[in-house]
Amino acid sequence: MAEFIRFDRITKFYGPLCVVENLALGIGKGEFVSLLGPSGSGKTTLLMMLAGFEQPTSGNILLDGTAINDVPTHKRDMGVVFQSYALFPHMSVGENVAFPLQMRRLGKAEIAERVARALDMVQLSAFVDRRPSQLSGGQQQRVALSRALVFEPRVVLMDEPLGALDKQLREQMQLDIRDLHRRLGVTIVFVTHDQSEALTMSDRVAVFNKGKIEQIGTPRQVYDEPATRFVAEFIGETNLVEGVVEAVQGQEATVRLRSGAHIVSAVSGSVASGQPVFLSIRPERVDLSETRGEARNCLETEVTDSVYQGDHLRVQLQNAAQPLIAKLGRRSREFPPGTKVYAAFSAGDCRVIAP
Amino acid sequence: MPMKLAKFAFASLTILFLVAPLIAILPLAFTSSVILTYPIPSWSLRWFEELFTADAWRRAIFNSLIIGTGTTLLATVLGTAASLGLRNRLLFFCGSIRTLFLLPMVVPAVVLGVGMQVLLAGFGLTNSYAGVIIAHTVVAVPFVVVSVIGALAGIDERVELAAQSLGASPATVFRRVTLPLAMPGVLSGAVLAFATSLDEVVLTLFVAGPNQRTLARQMFSSIRENISPAIAAAAFLFIVATILIGLAVVLFRSMLAKRR
Amino acid sequence: MSAVSSRTGRSLVLLAPLLLFLIGFFVWPLFSMMSQAVSDPAVLRLLPRSAEVLTDWDRKSPPTMPMQTALMEDLKAVDDDQALGDMVRRLNSARSGFRTLMSKTMSALEDTANPPADLVSIDKRWEKPEFWLAIADALSPLTDRNLLAAVDLGRNAAGDIEHLPADRSVNRVILVRTFWIAALVTFACAAIGFPYAMIAASLTGWKRDLMLAAVLLPLWTSLLVRTAAWFILLQEKGLINDLLQTLALIDAPLPLIFNRTGVIIAMTHVLLPFMVLPIYSVLITIPKNLMPAAASLGAPPWRAFLRVLLPLSLRGVASGSLLVFISAIGYYITPALIGGPGDQMISSIIAFYATGSANWGMAGALGVVLLIATLLLYSVYARLSTDEPGRR
Ligand SMILES: Nc1ncnc2c1ncn2[C@@H]1O[C@H](COP(=O)(O)OP(=O)(O)OP(=O)(O)O)[C@@H](O)[C@H]1O
Ligand SMILES: [Mg+2]
Repeated sequence: MAEFIRFDRITKFYGPLCVVENLALGIGKGEFVSLLGPSGSGKTTLLMMLAGFEQPTSGNILLDGTAINDVPTHKRDMGVVFQSYALFPHMSVGENVAFPLQMRRLGKAEIAERVARALDMVQLSAFVDRRPSQLSGGQQQRVALSRALVFEPRVVLMDEPLGALDKQLREQMQLDIRDLHRRLGVTIVFVTHDQSEALTMSDRVAVFNKGKIEQIGTPRQVYDEPATRFVAEFIGETNLVEGVVEAVQGQEATVRLRSGAHIVSAVSGSVASGQPVFLSIRPERVDLSETRGEARNCLETEVTDSVYQGDHLRVQLQNAAQPLIAKLGRRSREFPPGTKVYAAFSAGDCRVIAP
Repeated sequence: MPMKLAKFAFASLTILFLVAPLIAILPLAFTSSVILTYPIPSWSLRWFEELFTADAWRRAIFNSLIIGTGTTLLATVLGTAASLGLRNRLLFFCGSIRTLFLLPMVVPAVVLGVGMQVLLAGFGLTNSYAGVIIAHTVVAVPFVVVSVIGALAGIDERVELAAQSLGASPATVFRRVTLPLAMPGVLSGAVLAFATSLDEVVLTLFVAGPNQRTLARQMFSSIRENISPAIAAAAFLFIVATILIGLAVVLFRSMLAKRR
Repeated sequence: MSAVSSRTGRSLVLLAPLLLFLIGFFVWPLFSMMSQAVSDPAVLRLLPRSAEVLTDWDRKSPPTMPMQTALMEDLKAVDDDQALGDMVRRLNSARSGFRTLMSKTMSALEDTANPPADLVSIDKRWEKPEFWLAIADALSPLTDRNLLAAVDLGRNAAGDIEHLPADRSVNRVILVRTFWIAALVTFACAAIGFPYAMIAASLTGWKRDLMLAAVLLPLWTSLLVRTAAWFILLQEKGLINDLLQTLALIDAPLPLIFNRTGVIIAMTHVLLPFMVLPIYSVLITIPKNLMPAAASLGAPPWRAFLRVLLPLSLRGVASGSLLVFISAIGYYITPALIGGPGDQMISSIIAFYATGSANWGMAGALGVVLLIATLLLYSVYARLSTDEPGRR
């Protein structure tokens, strides 16, 4: 995929506060990239610099190979969707969507036709003459979306566009946006702090922490192969177990836990033997049984609590001094507290992470 | 129960105290008598006729309209521009500038009048429309500033950013987004400026010559020197104008509210 | 960075016109009013040549010849007897004996038959540096005379500050009266406005709207209309006296106009909205369930009111009172039209000095007193309305 947007060693200070630090990121044409991170990690700031609302303190932003630092916002040709929708309250839905086309001085007939098409795309044709204040939150967001797409911008930027919607509507819109992206093939940079949203929608996810990118990769990569402790903990739930590397064999390492048990685990980065590390084990990859099975990794544990949560069974375990959590499918049998069980998982289901 | 009754009585009496004087003056505008007392012997429109034909009153109405219009234009333009300038919070001295803009509301009119007379005399602007308009603008401008700042504060800045990202240059953003959204505030500021000018007496006493007597000024001296029911007729006009202006402001405010 | 500075530049361009306008037509007038209060160029205007020569004088040694010649030239050129009288009065108050010295000198100078060679030949006293010192001091264009006089103080012959004699002490009476009337009006507004705002805040729907509209209608109505209305109501044959007489509550009309009663009634009416609105706006932010909560904790209603509602609403009462008081001390129109001669407030006196007797110095000095009082009170008010404890 050809690289379309490039953040080249971008740094941004607000006064003495460093919000984005020496950041490098490339985004391909037609790609859907999510910027995911906790509050205050600099996602919005990066997006605002891309849109031209803010200037980087140092570094270049390249679009299609040319630096756009000095291009004013209105000439950047990027559609922006805000969390607060930012619809023009004094214009009707149709006028809102027509606005970017008027700015580009298209003919009346063409504007009418494209507005109709854009509203049709988000199923809002019936609302052309309404004011934004007469629409529901979800409808307003769809208007904002069609307004950002109607002029076929080179990039669409979305800053937590679904943050103000309730859960059900949000999930519906996630699918709608993904669908639009597939159909139009437009490049989308999507900011969110909701990890499931990022995993659902994106081609690639960039995980932010304190103004830096901790990891960038496909949803599967960031979930299954977390590169850092932060990523492992931020995305989904995980068991973090301390240990020391005993041996490294290619893509696998043997780690000795404090309890003395040995675990064979896949390795993301590079580790050396003797190094203290963390193991990340996803709770849903853990199997429980009362007999020691075939699995390569098997820990002796005792059930301390077990909670039925509808779609899964959440079991708390204790291995020596180490608490563990397992999520079992609902077909699984119950484990009353006090039961001695074996927690088993394959080498590929856990990861060694350098601290 | 007695508590409730007492509350009711107190509220009613206070409402009476607040509103009755304004209502009591209205019928006297239609008296046929030359004295301003009840009972009214018979009804007539002679005092309205007087208002529109007697030279002093006619000129006063004319002057009030000229000066009010001039003040409204000047105050609205200056006040709106300044309020827009105050939006940029990068300026560290915004707070004190804002205070300065609002201070003319606080300073006693007589004090300002004395200073204004000394100053305008220096410029040769006493006894001129320009001088009166300038003086009125000083006291009218705070109302515009308060009103426009209020309207601007209600604009979501991201709406303007969105317009930029959709391809609008800063000038276009202003013309198509900021100004229309601030318009209700600008209009109600203009209305308040006009009302302020219409009602201003003290500064007018100091800076206006006999040729710039405004309606309010004329009412003032007529109460002082030869009170006649023409006052009641003028008051009637004022109250009608007030109600219209009040309705206009309410309308602008609700326009503003509806957009949110 | 350039985007930021161009934004700042744009803001400045937008701010500049009003800023310049207000500096020119608001700050400057106030400033020139103040400078009127402290400036007294009368002597300087009369004695321009002496002023030039006296700057070189060491203020100790006996007068030189050029000093004497300059003063003689100046005195010969005086053609304004009024100004000369003012100057002599001023010099005499600084140095007694100047009056006789001056009249002697003036008549000697008018004697064109045998013109005097120098001043010392007219009167020996011209040799003494003290007299010259008085002239040198009077030549200074700055004076605190007006400011002192505004609070009924003056300087005696020795230059010390002292009270003016009772027959010249009018301003202090007026200042006290101004503050007293303002205080009465503030009290009346608070006494009516606080319960009114409480009742309004406790109501809902059209009843509350009605009570607020009753406050807003007068607020929006022209001040003159309201004053005219009270003028008509309060007259001897006005509606109030008519009503009271018809009800046979009184047999002779009450004197309601051109006296203190009328002024207080009319000003209370005019300023009541400024009391009600701040209190009301504080009261509606107080959660409705506080009083029931206090009751549930065992407080009887009056204690709940004293301990809960009153302290919470005090800020509203304070800012309302300040607002009313500030407006009241600067009032002109209502006292001028409804009050008698004994009810004129400081604004009327300022207007009198300015337009009636063209005494700009005194008008300015009283204006400074009023301005300072107003600004002090306003800064208290501004502080009160910006830091809002327990909110934000
Ligand atoms: N205009 C500004 N001036 C000063 N500091 C700012 C400004 N905008 C943002 N910041 C600071 O920069 C940091 C990053 O802010 P940013 O809005 O980029 O975070 P974010 O990742 O979008 O967070 P969220 O998920 O809460 O939206 C925060 O600490 C914030 O306080
Ligand atoms: Mg953000």
